[in-house]
Amino acid sequence: MRKKSSPQSEQEGHPRGVDLAEVEQLLAFMEKHGLEEFEYERDGIRVRLKKPSTHSQNATRAFALHDVHAAPGSSHTPAHGVPAASQAGVHGLSASAHVPEDLHVIKSPIVGTFYASASPGADPFVTVGAQVTSGQALCIIEAMKLMNEIESDVSGEIVKIFAENGQPVEYGEPLFGIRERDKK
Amino acid sequence: MFRKILIANRGEIALRVLCACRELGVSTVAVYSEADRNALHVRFADEAICIGPPRSSDSYLNIPQVISAAEIANVDAIHPGYGFLSENANFAEVCEASHITFIGPSPEVIRLMGEKDRARQEMAAAGLPIIPGSPGVVPDEDAARKSAEEIGYPLIIKASEGGGGRGMRIVREKRDLVASFQTARTEAEQAFGSPNVYMEKLIERPRHIEFQVLGDRHGSVVHLGERECSIQRRHQKLLEESPSPVVDAKVRKKMGDQVVEALAKIGYSSAGTVEFLREDSGKLYFIEMNARIQVEHPVTEMVTGVDLVKSQIRVAAGEKLADVVGPIEFRGHAIECRINAEDPDTFVPSPGRITAFRVPGGPGIRVDTACYADAVIPPYYDSLIAKIIAHGRDRSEAIARMRGALGGFVVEGVKTTIPLHKRILADPDFAAGKFDTHFIERSIAVSAK
Repeated sequence: MRKKSSPQSEQEGHPRGVDLAEVEQLLAFMEKHGLEEFEYERDGIRVRLKKPSTHSQNATRAFALHDVHAAPGSSHTPAHGVPAASQAGVHGLSASAHVPEDLHVIKSPIVGTFYASASPGADPFVTVGAQVTSGQALCIIEAMKLMNEIESDVSGEIVKIFAENGQPVEYGEPLFGIRERDKK
Repeated sequence: MFRKILIANRGEIALRVLCACRELGVSTVAVYSEADRNALHVRFADEAICIGPPRSSDSYLNIPQVISAAEIANVDAIHPGYGFLSENANFAEVCEASHITFIGPSPEVIRLMGEKDRARQEMAAAGLPIIPGSPGVVPDEDAARKSAEEIGYPLIIKASEGGGGRGMRIVREKRDLVASFQTARTEAEQAFGSPNVYMEKLIERPRHIEFQVLGDRHGSVVHLGERECSIQRRHQKLLEESPSPVVDAKVRKKMGDQVVEALAKIGYSSAGTVEFLREDSGKLYFIEMNARIQVEHPVTEMVTGVDLVKSQIRVAAGEKLADVVGPIEFRGHAIECRINAEDPDTFVPSPGRITAFRVPGGPGIRVDTACYADAVIPPYYDSLIAKIIAHGRDRSEAIARMRGALGGFVVEGVKTTIPLHKRILADPDFAAGKFDTHFIERSIAVSAK
């Protein structure tokens, strides 16, 4: 590691003596080749450029996970990619990646167990293809022995049901995909 | 032993609990807010469940969400860490009602320790010394004179409803008593709408000394020596060490035995900390008890060789203290520096993305952290980035190792308290062990200007 001239420089990440014109050139180079991240070192000066990712959160996560070092337990082999999934069937990642862009997604407002119908054996509240109106009950999430009805906040057609009857869901987990009616 | 534990916390303490669980062969469930999607406790736990939006009140403090997560993951115990729900008696009760073991003391004991006044009375009755004071509100001048005779000078008059220095008067001599008493009442009335004041012995140049204890569910309690936590700013601890430079083996044994006896009386059954103020004369006064694991627990682990978190889990599972810890021995000296994402001079929090992160190592160095390069310190929670713990044969070796470790710790992207710790460790009074709880304001903050 290079010697720091003052203790204060430790607090800042700015490399000194960087030529702005050179940075402009590098940015143009990144643009030309469609690069999202670029690192460059010469004469003891290191430049790292990173553009906001187009894949947003999921990409950031994947990147962050590989960048873990010097943390407790880092010697532990990362045997499984996403920790959640496994036994409880709870997903650590929001499934937003699988949602067609034009769908309105109803997400679970609480942690609990998803039930498609009001009681065992009864018909489900909704099925794929059903027309629903805003305020209509779509399912029940059971949390701490309480049955919470989850209502639709839009009117439209149920295109996708993400959760299965009896499945545990976490906060923010997608439950329904709805194609909105009369969307201006 | 438990099969599966839910860790109702985040940051370094969540990882610390995870470590202990792994050693014990217990599977782990992490819970997290949307702000912590990329956090390491989520990454390293066997399962992870999102329990709410970033705000603590909607996620880490949301009891129904945490219990629901525990139910869908089918855990048999919950470790609350420190902060958040760790000293919430109601949460401990809900756990009990849901047939989930709360890894901590009983709800009754948590509730007792949460009511500071009642805790002081109970502990005094159990044999611990408390700061001499008036029996409640001092109604008039005659009562003030009577109480002052009993307490002695100097004393302090405080507003019953108050705080923050208003309605407070220090009285050094008898002739100032009546005038100060009247001024304090007037100030209290104006500031808090009530003229009620009480009186207490003034502890000058106080040091914060605390005893680590561990109890089991069979009535046994042990102490694991003391920690010196006088290096604070705004009542927040910054640097802790064990043993205290001013507590010798005789005092340790005498006070430790008293603490153990008092806690056995109330049936304390987990890890906890009994806090004292020490006055110049060397006398210790009980102020409060923290009924949970503490941030600074590693210094005690380093000098005793006892894994406190693992022990806490084992006693919660019903194991006996004698099997869990055995006889306690003290070896060497340990210091902990809390590295916060804060401006080292103004103490203003400095959340943001960590761009570079390099932790120190070497003989006697331990680093507890949940940070990594490219991690984001969210603005919603506390600003702790890492704890560095240095252990040495004696205090001077521990200080030397800590100075080396601070020099080799690189954090870029956010401001940290590393420069402040370097100044503390370079201070001759600190090296000589001569300091009290006003050390930072007096010595360090001034010299920084």
